[in-house]
Amino acid sequence: MALVLGIETSCDETAVGIVKDRKLLANVISSSVEQHARFGGVVPEVASRAHLEAMQQVIKQALKDASVTLKDIDAIAVTAGPGLIGALLVGVSSASGLAMALDKPLYGVNHLSAHIAVDRLDNDAKMQPSIALLVSGGHSSILQVNNLATDVIVKGATIDDAAGEAFDKIARIMGLGFPGGPVIDKAASFGNKDAILFPRGLTQSADLEAHRYDFSFSGLKTAVSRYLQQTPSYLKADVAASFQEAVVDVLLSKSIAVCKDSGIDNLVIAGGVAANSRLRELAKQRCEVAKIALRIPPAGLCTDNGAMVAALGSLAINEGVKPSQTGLSADSAAPIAQVIW
Amino acid sequence: MSIILAIDTSTSRTSVALVAGGKVLFTKFHEDPLAHGEVLPKLVKEALAVNKDIDLVAVGMGPGPFTGLRVGIAFAQSFALGLNINWAGVCSLDAMAAGINQSEFIVSTDARRKERFWAKYENGKRVSEPAVSKASELEKLGIPIFNEGDYFPDPIALANLALSTKSVEQPIYIRKPDAYPLPAGVKFRVMTALDLVVATAIEKEVYGKAAWSGAQFKEEFAKAPKDAYYLAAEAQGELIAYAGIFYVADVADIHTITVVEKYRRKGVGRELLKRLIDWARVKKADAIMLEMRLGNDAARPLYEQNGFVEVSKRENYYGPGLTAVVMRKELK
Ligand SMILES: [Zn+2]
Repeated sequence: MALVLGIETSCDETAVGIVKDRKLLANVISSSVEQHARFGGVVPEVASRAHLEAMQQVIKQALKDASVTLKDIDAIAVTAGPGLIGALLVGVSSASGLAMALDKPLYGVNHLSAHIAVDRLDNDAKMQPSIALLVSGGHSSILQVNNLATDVIVKGATIDDAAGEAFDKIARIMGLGFPGGPVIDKAASFGNKDAILFPRGLTQSADLEAHRYDFSFSGLKTAVSRYLQQTPSYLKADVAASFQEAVVDVLLSKSIAVCKDSGIDNLVIAGGVAANSRLRELAKQRCEVAKIALRIPPAGLCTDNGAMVAALGSLAINEGVKPSQTGLSADSAAPIAQVIW
Repeated sequence: MSIILAIDTSTSRTSVALVAGGKVLFTKFHEDPLAHGEVLPKLVKEALAVNKDIDLVAVGMGPGPFTGLRVGIAFAQSFALGLNINWAGVCSLDAMAAGINQSEFIVSTDARRKERFWAKYENGKRVSEPAVSKASELEKLGIPIFNEGDYFPDPIALANLALSTKSVEQPIYIRKPDAYPLPAGVKFRVMTALDLVVATAIEKEVYGKAAWSGAQFKEEFAKAPKDAYYLAAEAQGELIAYAGIFYVADVADIHTITVVEKYRRKGVGRELLKRLIDWARVKKADAIMLEMRLGNDAARPLYEQNGFVEVSKRENYYGPGLTAVVMRKELK
């Protein structure tokens, strides 16, 4: 029952979580998102400065929330990639300073796998093997998870933009704000999802051969911006709802196809976009029909956080994975199959 | 006798030392401008093998290239937290100057982009704030310059300075983050009466009947300068935007943020708003208010992103049928 402290700084959230095996004890997040809103995207140097500024406070608050002291901690886990390199380095350096002072093992973990690992917390479901749909600002992929700490296979991925990026872009064009996911979700709740039929990328039979499980959102983005230009009196809510439906529809039909083709009837949906209310709703409907056991972490744990990093660290310990070496390096472009290093 | 672990990552060199009562127990460095993150823990591990009963962590706070600099600071702060001991920040240039015996000199480190971080020293004491300048500008000063390459921040000096000087609590960045997505050549300055001819023309074009006259602007300018703040933005020498805010009785009021058509949706209004908010914060205002024409959808998201919420509507505020939306942002 290892007590693990996890640190996450790959993008704009400075986050620290503490877990005891599968139990969530603390999850503290300090976000610099407001500082980035005026640029319509995350500014790396602004994010890195904010991480360093917030780090000590966030660690202290997490310890306080978990009612533990640093002496109680058995291991430190940290996001070592992928992400913004300057931002990652603040987390990795803090984590190695902490681990070295405490003389405890350090686990550098993959941010994407951590999004899936958060599903372990506060339940005892056995979910391996499973298919994982991972959708966030930087990533959209479908994975076959045989063992999250040691054996992850990529089944499909986006060939252009990530789903979250498409949300950001469309939100910006419509003047809805940043980040795009939550604002489109909100706007869509007042709209008609069937008002406009936007294209579903890579679902035509010609595409399916080469890209059976892959995504493409650039055509959808183009279609939405063309619609906005041609329809000056457009209803924001309807555009948002119809756009969101197109994204969610493709994400789910491809994920369910992977489940069926591989004979694995467990689906985990993880990553920031998994907080989207329409994705959650439609996934439930379709998985019920397809007789697939569905798991989606609570919305609050889908966006970037430290608990997911701690959860993956604690899983690694359970699986007997070796800790990282002294001088752990951050890797901004770490592939998803590289889970712990 | 207290043992100090000293760390500096402000230059291409990662340096670590262990110092106890003026005695050096360990000192080592590694030269690689891109590997601070990997090198530092290894060097510290070696130092801890000599003695791990650390009482204080001393760390170079820069100036220096940001990413490497933060590696040292983040590590030092968390290491101190882990051991439940204090950390002390030192200006890295001071730790570089400590070994130089001259009456008047400059030390300078590589700031990339053909620029240098530097500070001036007289008889061992720093007499200027750390700054960043072009290398050619520095040479013009005609003072001996000691450059990174021949000299580096010395971790042993850093340990001593940590005991004898006041801790530098914040990283010495000097440069702002490169984060202004503004069109090239846009400059901001204080608005003056000389701008009024152009500004009133822009007013008429943008607001029609509700435009301010030159006299109205002058009235605003005449207010106590400490209570009002008017900014202008220009590109290629031409006025392209202006904004004003007025502070009275705990609340700051944004009077206008106006951008000419050609420069809209390019971050100019955003930047003006940010500067007005910063000004109101400095004035310690409790809140900021503004009136926006109803249906002014283009500007509304910008205000909302910045924390403004609608508090009321004023019918016919801008003239018959022109309703104003009053928005407010709390600063407390
Ligand atoms: Zn993420």
